[in-house]
Amino acid sequence: MKKSVSAFILMFLGLALLSAGIYTVKTSIDPQGMMRVLPYLCIGLGCGIFGHGTGDVISRRILKNHPAKEKEIEIERQDERNITLGSLAKAKAYDMMIYVFGALMLAFALMEVDLAALLLLVFAYLFVVAYGIYYRYKYDKEM
Amino acid sequence: MKNRLGEIRKKHGIKQEELAAALEVSRQTIGSLENGRYNPSILLAFKIARYFDLSIEEIFIYEESEVK
Repeated sequence: MKKSVSAFILMFLGLALLSAGIYTVKTSIDPQGMMRVLPYLCIGLGCGIFGHGTGDVISRRILKNHPAKEKEIEIERQDERNITLGSLAKAKAYDMMIYVFGALMLAFALMEVDLAALLLLVFAYLFVVAYGIYYRYKYDKEM
Repeated sequence: MKNRLGEIRKKHGIKQEELAAALEVSRQTIGSLENGRYNPSILLAFKIARYFDLSIEEIFIYEESEVK
């Protein structure tokens, strides 16, 4: 019940964001600075959230009349082999991301792109690495 | 790790789907276990053993040489 309410909230939040974005694009004359990007960001985020929420609401509606299928989906979701496969795939993608983003930062530095943008990328990269180290330490304490 | 899951399951006359439903895992997991491509968690190993009323050692065969 709680989950279906949150799906509805997501759907309406997405719709609100999407509407606000479209309204701003249509009504603003000669936008400056951040306002040139913000409406499109709202449209993009709104579409994503609305799509996700609507999909969730529709699938819940359909599955409500098919408890056997719902149980099957739940088993697939909680299946230990599926969880292991997902974790392994994510770990591989993380390893690849470390190299790809490292190369990207190096390329940006050689291209002499804006320092603020480069530093943001470096901080984001280091944050992800630190996040990984934090969880390694946390799980080490727990297990 | 080798196991006798397929042999034991067939002896009991149950389908992979039925075993998967009883253990609350996917049919693919049962298939992978029987083919020896996937080693179960200790919890799943216990569930399988309890389901067939056997000990874990009677289903799963641990060999020292398999440890990499």
